[in-house]
Amino acid sequence: MTAAAFTVGVLFAFPALYLIWRNITSDSDPLGLLTSSRTLEPLRRSVVLAALVSASTAVLGTSLAWLTARTDLPGRRMWRVLLPLPLAYPTFVGAAAFIRTLNPGGLANDLLQAVGINHTFELRGLFGAWLVLTLFTYPYVYLPVAARLRSLPGSLEESARLLGDSGFSTFRRVVLPQTASAITSGALLVGLYTISDFGAVQLMRYDTLTRAIWTTRLADQPTSFALSAILLVLAVVVVGGERLGSRRLSERPPARASTSRLFTTPLDRWRLPGLALVVGTIGLALVAPAAALADWGISGLVRDATGGRSLAINASDIVGPAWNTVWVSVVAACVAVVAVLPTAVLLARYHSRVGPITGNVIISTFAMPGLLIALAMFFWTLRSSWAAEHLRGTLIVLVFAYMVRFGAQALGAAQIAVAAVPDRLHDSARVLGAGSFRRLATVDAPLVTPGLVAGGGLVLLSTMKELPITLLVAPFDFPTLTTKIFQSFEDAFVAEAGLLAMVLVILSGALTWFLVVRRADHLD
Amino acid sequence: MSKPEDSTLRHITATVVAIAIAATFTTACGSSNKQELSEKAAAIVTGECRDQRDETVTIYSGRTEYLIRPIIEAFACETGIDVRVRWGNSTDLAILIGEEGNATEADVFLSRSPGPVGFLESRGLLGTIDDEVLELVDQQNRASSGSWIGFSGRKRVLVRNIDLVSDSELPESVFDLTEDRYRGRVGIPATNGSFEDWFTVFRDEHGGEVATQWLHDMVDNDAEYYPNNRAIVEAAGRGEIDMGLVNHYYQYQEAAAAGDAHRAENHDFGPNDIGSLLIITAATILGATEERSAAHQLLAYLLSPKAQLYFTNQTFEYPLGADIKPNPILPALTALEIGSVDFDSLGGGFEETERIIRESGILAG
Repeated sequence: MTAAAFTVGVLFAFPALYLIWRNITSDSDPLGLLTSSRTLEPLRRSVVLAALVSASTAVLGTSLAWLTARTDLPGRRMWRVLLPLPLAYPTFVGAAAFIRTLNPGGLANDLLQAVGINHTFELRGLFGAWLVLTLFTYPYVYLPVAARLRSLPGSLEESARLLGDSGFSTFRRVVLPQTASAITSGALLVGLYTISDFGAVQLMRYDTLTRAIWTTRLADQPTSFALSAILLVLAVVVVGGERLGSRRLSERPPARASTSRLFTTPLDRWRLPGLALVVGTIGLALVAPAAALADWGISGLVRDATGGRSLAINASDIVGPAWNTVWVSVVAACVAVVAVLPTAVLLARYHSRVGPITGNVIISTFAMPGLLIALAMFFWTLRSSWAAEHLRGTLIVLVFAYMVRFGAQALGAAQIAVAAVPDRLHDSARVLGAGSFRRLATVDAPLVTPGLVAGGGLVLLSTMKELPITLLVAPFDFPTLTTKIFQSFEDAFVAEAGLLAMVLVILSGALTWFLVVRRADHLD
Repeated sequence: MSKPEDSTLRHITATVVAIAIAATFTTACGSSNKQELSEKAAAIVTGECRDQRDETVTIYSGRTEYLIRPIIEAFACETGIDVRVRWGNSTDLAILIGEEGNATEADVFLSRSPGPVGFLESRGLLGTIDDEVLELVDQQNRASSGSWIGFSGRKRVLVRNIDLVSDSELPESVFDLTEDRYRGRVGIPATNGSFEDWFTVFRDEHGGEVATQWLHDMVDNDAEYYPNNRAIVEAAGRGEIDMGLVNHYYQYQEAAAAGDAHRAENHDFGPNDIGSLLIITAATILGATEERSAAHQLLAYLLSPKAQLYFTNQTFEYPLGADIKPNPILPALTALEIGSVDFDSLGGGFEETERIIRESGILAG
């Protein structure tokens, strides 16, 4: 197990090693840059934005998870399918849809004018970036917390209620402590994602470190590499800090006995506010951008049908890329889950030094911009002529790159799932003569499956919308929905971009339902 | 263990296996019907397709599939040469080639603007193009070193919303935009490749101080930052912003797409004004290529009369070769615009441009 985790750690370190190598071999000066206000200001903005978005998604994601998993909120099943979906929007599409719909001529602006509000709401700067990122990343908290809540026994809550605690005090005293590690690991992902995000801050004109990395990437590569190194160090520090902090939080609740059922908290008079929160979130994060995209797409279809400019894409331009997107993402999600599993087991069960180090490598890598990961793939495959010949431009490298980029999302969920398997079950199984593999299959697998599926679901949704790695690393003639969307936007084929993005979101929804939510519902 | 959970695992495994099998199957038969021509490509091709030869040319293209693919398909059909393309952003593709170095798979690199090509030239990764292909374009639209040629042009213009900006308000020169009457009304795509290239030429023509002062004055005049040209054209069409500095050709795409709902028009600055510079899209052959002949044929094809006609009639760009006249709906080109600019200065001056733009504060505008 240690050997496996160690190997995986080395593989995940490829981009970081590449970055260090580039900093040494080009005349980069990360330390010198650290003292310049041109670096410090963007760095400060990155940290502020990441902290704000982490905090707001922790609150929002946890509330939504609890409302849909443990209460009698009306329409829970539907909300469970819809709530993870905002993750399906590439931020450059989501933010663009937001801006466009609020501006004059946009759908939301028209609606506001229709009800007599003649004001243009401008989304930009810190507020705009915070809002858009919160709405599109809360599923990083929601999914693992919801998975955790579904695997928790209801007995404690039930007792608390019987002893007279109100719904919210039960939440605070019983539910919150048991989900703390899921919440912090989700919020950590959000923070790292925020640090690495370029799409939203660029469109919202909030000048963060990623934007500096991006604008210098061609004209001044040494600076770009040095800034990336600062970003990576920041990520390592944040991840290390979280780990120190969460050690105190680690909890091992009793496993749910097979007869135990979930306890459902009646919401009573909180039903309406709860419903409002869920509907409001879905309205803003899912429906509003979808409406904007549909607006673009449908106007294109209408134009096509009424003899205006015909659409530049036909069904086969959608079907092929959609299929590529789906299958490569499913494979990447499975590979990522399998790859991080040994590390998750080490972290949860053993006091090995390899576990935390590998874990930090996997999670910190999530803060690295996709472009760097793509370049690292080329750097490493070109180290040997065999790899250059047989690996470059293959799906193997593409899936590997996705795994490295998004493995962090699977690790958090996997670790929590593994930690929740009680030792005594293991001990009993061992006493009864079960070998380690058999124990894994019969004791662990059923208990950890919901957590692993949630982690895989995150990787799946992220891979489906990934752009920079896909553009550079994918084999020739391997178009995906995002590469098509990118090209449509580049040359003002907005209707085409809208249609393709709609397909992406609908497919993401279908897959989330089919692979994640429907399975998890079995466990209720 | 309990049944539903076992079946969960089994269902997921079955799904994954099914997808993997289907994927292998489709990848295996995916490449059989490549030779089918799209409608747009068929319109370019004259005569029959040639049998496929045992030659493959690999393109890294910063020009998008929508606009370039028909020409590439037509080329493959007429020459029998197989073409592979990696589509992407010009800057990122140039960085990728820089990373791959001489091991790059690219034989040809197509860039939306000269900056990324200058980057590759400074890295010594470009080969020299044969004279007979170089001579297909005028001297001023190719590198004097022979490392790249322009194959189409986009003109810098001012796009304006026709309801918000009257004819009498239109500026004669890009320098007028720093006046108070344009306060808060002008969009600038400050991090966009063609804007950066334009600004580099601006510095070259008027001197670094004048250009930097102009940008600072624009920032003081509350110029609005936009991530790219397209966003400005679209925003001007909706009345979100009054006007903006853009490449001319997005206007035609937007107008074709949105029709009368798009309330914008291009305005050409006066003759000899730096604001109406022609930015060329560049083609180059990599130094390490083993397909020099096929790569040259491709470049020559891009500059052939039918390709140049396609560029001006279908994608609304300025033709640079084969004596093709620009589409009459495009703003006229004056003598200064082509011919007076030393594009070779773009590569080296790029880093400084990037620094000036970042320090101007426009990015937070």
